[in-house]
Amino acid sequence: MPGPLDGYRVVELSEGVAGPYAAMELGDAGADVLKIEKLQGDRARGWGSKATGDLGASFLGMNRNKRSVALDLDSAEGVAVAKKLLEGADVVIADAAWTAHPDLQPEALTKSNPGLVHVHISEYGEHGPMANRAPYGELSAQLASEATTSLGVIGEAPVRMAVDVAQMFTGIYAVQAICAALYARDTRGGQRIDLSLFGTMVAMRSTLWVALANPDEWWGFHLDSYVKPQDYGYQCKDGRIYFSLARPTQEQRDDLYREFNMEWVRQDPLFDLVNTDTAGGTARYSHVCKPVWERAFKELPRQQVIEAIRKTGGWAFEKNNYEELVNSEQAQFIGLIDTRDHPGVGSVSTVAIPWEFADTPASIRRPAPRLGEHADEVLGAAGFSASDISGLRSKGVLATV
Amino acid sequence: MPEGPLYGIRVFDLTIAMVGPWCAMQLGAMGADVVHVEAKEAVRGGVPPSINGTSIGYITWNMNKRGIQFDLKSQDDRADAYEVLKTSDVFLMNMRPDVAARLGVDYESVSKLNPGIVYVAVTGWGQAGPLSSLPGADGQIQHYTGFGSSSGVEGTEEGEIYRHFTQMDATTGNYACQAILMGLLARKKTGKGQRIDVSMIRATSALQTGRMTEYLQSKQVPKPLGHKSQAVAPSQAFMCHDARYLGVEATSEAEWRGLCAAIDKPELATDARFATNSERVEHRNELSAILEPVFAAMPLDYWMLELKKQDVPHGRPMRWDELRNHQQVLDNQYLIDIETKSWGTVRTGGPVWHFSETPARWFRTPELGEHAEEIMRDVRADLAKAGTPAAAGGKQ
Repeated sequence: MPGPLDGYRVVELSEGVAGPYAAMELGDAGADVLKIEKLQGDRARGWGSKATGDLGASFLGMNRNKRSVALDLDSAEGVAVAKKLLEGADVVIADAAWTAHPDLQPEALTKSNPGLVHVHISEYGEHGPMANRAPYGELSAQLASEATTSLGVIGEAPVRMAVDVAQMFTGIYAVQAICAALYARDTRGGQRIDLSLFGTMVAMRSTLWVALANPDEWWGFHLDSYVKPQDYGYQCKDGRIYFSLARPTQEQRDDLYREFNMEWVRQDPLFDLVNTDTAGGTARYSHVCKPVWERAFKELPRQQVIEAIRKTGGWAFEKNNYEELVNSEQAQFIGLIDTRDHPGVGSVSTVAIPWEFADTPASIRRPAPRLGEHADEVLGAAGFSASDISGLRSKGVLATV
Repeated sequence: MPEGPLYGIRVFDLTIAMVGPWCAMQLGAMGADVVHVEAKEAVRGGVPPSINGTSIGYITWNMNKRGIQFDLKSQDDRADAYEVLKTSDVFLMNMRPDVAARLGVDYESVSKLNPGIVYVAVTGWGQAGPLSSLPGADGQIQHYTGFGSSSGVEGTEEGEIYRHFTQMDATTGNYACQAILMGLLARKKTGKGQRIDVSMIRATSALQTGRMTEYLQSKQVPKPLGHKSQAVAPSQAFMCHDARYLGVEATSEAEWRGLCAAIDKPELATDARFATNSERVEHRNELSAILEPVFAAMPLDYWMLELKKQDVPHGRPMRWDELRNHQQVLDNQYLIDIETKSWGTVRTGGPVWHFSETPARWFRTPELGEHAEEIMRDVRADLAKAGTPAAAGGKQ
């Protein structure tokens, strides 16, 4: 059975992470996704380590299930081709990297296609003094939303999340908005949707804003993220772990102390600290108590520590890097990573699809495209003859594959 | 005021903690009638900080809903809950796999009542596998999925955990929200609901697609680089003359040339060491050593002007005291004030998506069980109107 978005046509006119990732998710869910690129290609083709040629490693993970056509969008002919390819699209995803040509603005496209759902992604939003800032930056959005205050050392240089969260969060929200707008389209028609990296980052930190606004207790879970030192997990002999006890009983705590030969803490003033609230990474004094726990853990293999904590009713898990995650039993069991052959590249692995639909399964049907790989088939289907296509190529309007 | 895109949809929101509530809150913002079903002994407090005895988290994550309490183990309450289910389009739950059957709301029971229902179960680790019976929440998931392995101060061997524990929960909730919307779209064509599973391990790994795919091709485990990007150079923070940090990025060749122009160093644009992003990443430290003294020579505002002129992405850290009243935040309504009944006025994030025709909304978290009577009245009216459960389920 086809995926939930089978039959919808999506045209992506965006670069980097946010727009392309949103388009890929729609493709995973069954939509037919066309990626229109400028002649030099999506800037993200050049990001990070290269799989080969114009295929950056991260690009492979963000662009599966798409076909690519690369056009000279500074020429009138290129704009005309793009316009033709946009006919009949259900969804357009655009960002600041897209051309400013008036014929290709979402508003113009809507005139001939009133059911169109068009999404515009910007850095800071469509209103206000910072609207229409240049193509967006990931670091800017992380800094401006003060997301960098929950990593690193207080008062020293900011530390970013290595994952491009601002763009990913925005892409994820864009998919929600697109699906909701498609749902409402039968009765409400097409529409424009605006999202920004900055706005998304602000919303993703809502819990903190509520905590900062007017709490009765100026500490705890969310506010602690400002004042606690760096957290690397609890060091064991051969790796690090996370552990916590949700509101532990006295009996649970005693079991744990016995297990790790820490019964002395009950006679120690520090006991009051250990005893406060939840034990583990989220507790108020976890950073104070951590060295005490680590002294007990450091001679023990982490599997043994994890099992001992679980046995007393606590929660304990490995702190993994990507290699450890990918090789973990759970990841292997659920098929977290998808590996398939990419013609010309060899075996390519990406993160598998996040949702599991029982009746309309999402699927990976094609690997990330080379620049302009599908020009002939896409233009052909749009009514261009073989000689039109070779004419466009010889004029440099269409990329040579 | 026009209605949101999900006007007419009812959600049976049997959720606790953050992942499920956050997901349902988004559906409510888009106009769905979200019925937040809580146990009779529902816990709202206990995790600090709090306002008037209720945890901040609970207040933040349960906006845009109506509240009702059911003891699903009692016959009477379950009968009422089943009436609500018959008129619902979506069932959402985030409890461990075995709990649904115990409460009489496993997929078989619910889909028998209402074949049109889109049934979404969110778990920590998936429905099967060695970890499937264990609890999953933000901290565990961050550690396990490697989110805490790639960020941290440059030069440290080991990545650090993000200390504001909500991003993994919210992310999973956001992916679940996508799945629900896709399920509703599929139902338009098939006329049927279905079961959908979403897990935190899958969702938060998907969030890390970029870094993880780089690892999968190169087999190089990423090391912390502080404020520097793993994939793009330059993309880092520079300390300016007034001791303030400015984030600067050149994510395309045009932006790189723009940056060289902004700092008046045209020779860098033709330097072979920095000819492409791959070269710049390779020579990241050399490049950084050249750029650092340049930015240190002039104040932050000077660089903001120069970089803006050249269309180079840049931004500076803002803190809450600035952010809360920032014109950009206010003009786009990224922060909004919500009057509540028991917790005063709370300032929180508004809707992320700005729809031109079907605007989203945001309203206060309900009191425990506040809407019990009105919900049951609406449900019974819908049942009387629709006749059969199937018709009610497929009412869109």
